[in-house]
Amino acid sequence: MSMLKAVDIYKSYKVGPTEVNVLRGISIEVERGELLAVVGASGSGKSTLVHMLGLLERPTSGDYYVEGEKICYDDDRALSTLRNQKIGFVFQQYYLLPRLTALDNVGLPLVYRGLRISEIKEQAMAFLRKVGMEDRAHHRPNEMSGGQQQRVAIARAIVGKPSVILADEPTGALDTQTGQEIMALIRKLNEEEGITAVVITHDPKIAMHCQRREEIVDGLIVHQDQREVV
Amino acid sequence: MANIEEALRSLTSAKQRTILALTGIIIGIGSVIGMVSIGAIVENEALKQFQDMGVDVAVVRREFSDKTAEMKLQDIFELKKHVRDILEVAPFLGSGGEYTLHGKKTYLEQTGVTESFFTLNMIRLREGRLITDLDAYRCFCVIGKAIGDFLRGIGITNLVGNQIILGDRIYTIVGVLDHVPQGGMRPCDINNAVLTHITTAGRFFQYRSIDSFMVRLGGQKTTTEIKTEVKDYFNKRSKGLSVTILTAEELIANMKKQMRLFTLLLGAIGSISLIVGGIGVMNMMLVSVAERRMEIGLRRALGALQRDIQTQFIIESVTLCLVGGVIGILLGVLVSLVFAKLSQWEFLISYGSIALGFGVATAVGIFFGYYPARAAAKLDPIKALRS
Ligand SMILES: Nc1ncnc2c1ncn2[C@@H]1O[C@H](COP(=O)(O)OP(=O)(O)OP(=O)(O)O)[C@@H](O)[C@H]1O
Ligand SMILES: [Mg+2]
Repeated sequence: MSMLKAVDIYKSYKVGPTEVNVLRGISIEVERGELLAVVGASGSGKSTLVHMLGLLERPTSGDYYVEGEKICYDDDRALSTLRNQKIGFVFQQYYLLPRLTALDNVGLPLVYRGLRISEIKEQAMAFLRKVGMEDRAHHRPNEMSGGQQQRVAIARAIVGKPSVILADEPTGALDTQTGQEIMALIRKLNEEEGITAVVITHDPKIAMHCQRREEIVDGLIVHQDQREVV
Repeated sequence: MANIEEALRSLTSAKQRTILALTGIIIGIGSVIGMVSIGAIVENEALKQFQDMGVDVAVVRREFSDKTAEMKLQDIFELKKHVRDILEVAPFLGSGGEYTLHGKKTYLEQTGVTESFFTLNMIRLREGRLITDLDAYRCFCVIGKAIGDFLRGIGITNLVGNQIILGDRIYTIVGVLDHVPQGGMRPCDINNAVLTHITTAGRFFQYRSIDSFMVRLGGQKTTTEIKTEVKDYFNKRSKGLSVTILTAEELIANMKKQMRLFTLLLGAIGSISLIVGGIGVMNMMLVSVAERRMEIGLRRALGALQRDIQTQFIIESVTLCLVGGVIGILLGVLVSLVFAKLSQWEFLISYGSIALGFGVATAVGIFFGYYPARAAAKLDPIKALRS
């Protein structure tokens, strides 16, 4: 059974009188333990796809399964719970809450599981250690570099032991060197901890880290690539 | 817990807006607390009047319109014989000021009284004896508790038998009084008084005319009837002398009227301020929601339910209101303290009103925070995140 399975997904937005078709019949499967890169030009629908996979966006049509379970989009509560337990997001702009310390930012997903504060802090610390940021635990985001912030964001994505982490251009705001380090971290987590990850990028050098790559052009997956990993 | 911490953090990060929104809440809650506290103070004062002295006490005052018509001591004493429902009369003559006792300055009220004054005012003796009508024209005095404490404070241990000089007269202390609560119908602060017989006081005071005296009412007649009889009596005795009579019941009624005016005013100020403050809080919360769309979207992406977001913002708004509430409560207590001092009534803190203050603050926070919180919870996560 695949971790994620999307079947014939369409997504369109109404902009004024015209309809913009962003996803035009995408089918994609993500297997357990996989590291998948999705590449594509700007505006091709990568973010829309990842938001759909992350249950933030409701497809106009098509079916979507998470761990074999069909998603019903009418139950906001169930969607929130699934996001909390099955999905870990990493964003291009990190999206760390400026008023919280690194530790508290990492603990955020666990707050919505109703865990005790001491337990949350303990878990968050353990995951900060995993991304090599334990010595910045009590720093605020504005006291950290972009690469450090993204490490914290990755810790936040995996702290809840989700089924999959969805990273939308995680290196997009970083210089090449730092970008490579972040991608190496994701790859390491994939290899050592068996974390399933989907990484959106338009940088081929980043995509090279992944065993499997998909390209999206104008809302359609156009070809699959199984070249060797660098 | 973490929510409250969060709330305080986000409040302190927008100081100016916070202060603006808080002002309304502070004034609003302050007025509510002041209103309830003053009610309690007046209620207490009225109760004290009942318990302390009974409601059958009244004060008869000479009207100042006619300067020539004097209220004579003899006429006051004879009132009992002519108006049967007057059970007792207690005239007094007083003047307060700075005096030097044994080389130390203090404020005291030198008051001339009769034996009946002590029973009518429910004054108890601590040591020695009271002034009786046998002390007429003699330089004996009893002193109030505060004066006694003052004298002890400057090293005079045997108060009874000791002599004090007031003006150019030497008085022998024959008794020291117990503490007497102030207020009600009592003419002066007896704790700070040096009491002599009224005839003694009359001899040495420059201003000898009696302005008012206390009476105890009894019998079957209504107070209105007694009042008419007393007025007629004095008018007969001294041409053109007119008097007013204030009974304890009227005093209480007056106090309540005074309170009603004040509470009405505070009630009006309070409710307007609460509405203004509430709208301020709502506005502040709306701005806060708008500024933190990313945060809301992110929290939703991480699994927060709509309810979690709503709760977070309501807690924030309630926290804001409670901060205002605490300051408002202090303000309200201060207002009622000032009111009590101005009215010379006993100040007391009504714990019920403090609980009410917290209750109102919470209610305002929930009420005016609900709409912004709801708006935050209803945001589309992805739109919020992308903005
Ligand atoms: N809410 C929306 N309403 C209307 N159009 C939208 C909306 N969201 C996305 N689009 C459109 O859908 C298309 C795909 O957007 P998307 O963000 O998925 O692209 P992308 O592949 O992530 O691009 P980039 O590499 O620039 O991030 C764009 O043309 C965008 O304008
Ligand atoms: Mg994108």
